[in-house]
Amino acid sequence: MKAFRRGLVVAFIALLAGAIVRLRGKGTVQPTSGGWRELEGPDFR
Amino acid sequence: MNVRPETQGPTVLLAGVGAVGARAARQLVDTDGIGRVVLAERRPDQRRTALDSLGERAVALDDPYGDWPDDIAIVVSALPASGDGRLARVAIERGVPFVSGTEDADTIDELLALQPIARASGVSVVIGCGLAPGLSDVLARHAASALEDVDEVHIARVGTSGPASVATMKRALRERPREWRDGSWHEGRRRPTRELVWFPEPVGGRDCDAVASGIALLQRQFPDAQRLTIRYGEGEDSPGWRRAGDAAAWGAARVEVWGRRGRARDSIVYGVVERTAVATGTMLAVVAGSMLGALDLGRPAGPGVFAASEFLEPVPLLTELSRRGVKAATFEGVGGESPATSPRG
Repeated sequence: MKAFRRGLVVAFIALLAGAIVRLRGKGTVQPTSGGWRELEGPDFR
Repeated sequence: MNVRPETQGPTVLLAGVGAVGARAARQLVDTDGIGRVVLAERRPDQRRTALDSLGERAVALDDPYGDWPDDIAIVVSALPASGDGRLARVAIERGVPFVSGTEDADTIDELLALQPIARASGVSVVIGCGLAPGLSDVLARHAASALEDVDEVHIARVGTSGPASVATMKRALRERPREWRDGSWHEGRRRPTRELVWFPEPVGGRDCDAVASGIALLQRQFPDAQRLTIRYGEGEDSPGWRRAGDAAAWGAARVEVWGRRGRARDSIVYGVVERTAVATGTMLAVVAGSMLGALDLGRPAGPGVFAASEFLEPVPLLTELSRRGVKAATFEGVGGESPATSPRG
């Protein structure tokens, strides 16, 4: 019974942590690939 | 006042020599065509340190609101936001152009409200001379010039330039955000506006929240855009603002402009990374140099209140900033979709 209760506590904590991570990760993170290049040339593009 | 030998060129009154003011002073002194730089600073230690580091072309004054030398040609304010409105009024009364690097929304509104008296007095008041608002708006205009129509501009910024800047940024993040959407203003809720924004390295990805600061200036320049947003985030790995206000910490701005190019909808992303105080101080000095005719960066501002990006030409301005070490970059690659069309819109 004690092990069962411990299991429940662990599962609850895991769910809570998952929810926090999920909430924090809700921003619009777009898939990106590429890099930054310094502006140059006469038009500075 | 501590008087030192006269030099050729107009005299600048620089109010405040904190983190930003000290950088602006250095840039002004290093600009050919500018004569003396009068440092108006109430804190004796700061005044002395700045004076000693700048050499013969700098002189000191202890009260920016008191008596000025007769030959002041322009006032450059690097004061905390609360001092800008009062100093701008003094400058207008004395018929002297005024340049401010303020990033505080209320102070920007206060300065914009000086439009009637600035026009009536024939004096130019120039705001938006910092990192954002300021350089970010210049980059937005530069991007817009490569598009046929602009429908969205999204600006993000991290980094602060001293204790006053930290206070301003914290206040901006506490207050309700504001954005321009489909021809009207929308005030958002606080927390759900958080978004991960990618700045050039070494800053990288930072969580940023929508704010109201600078949005009024941006809207003046893009009145027909469907959506305008400005976001602020914490600076150099400073959760809880541990390093906030550290003038040596990196600041950055990212500008994303969406519009039509040919028949396609396209975006241009520009960014800049620099110490926030250095970027702001350099912008202030370059704008002042242009207004004094020492630098040729575009048409002169007429009487009234303007953002620097409204009258200076982006390419000469970016070239001059680059020459002084403040370099902008463009993102090349796949940048995802516009925030307006994403699920969180």
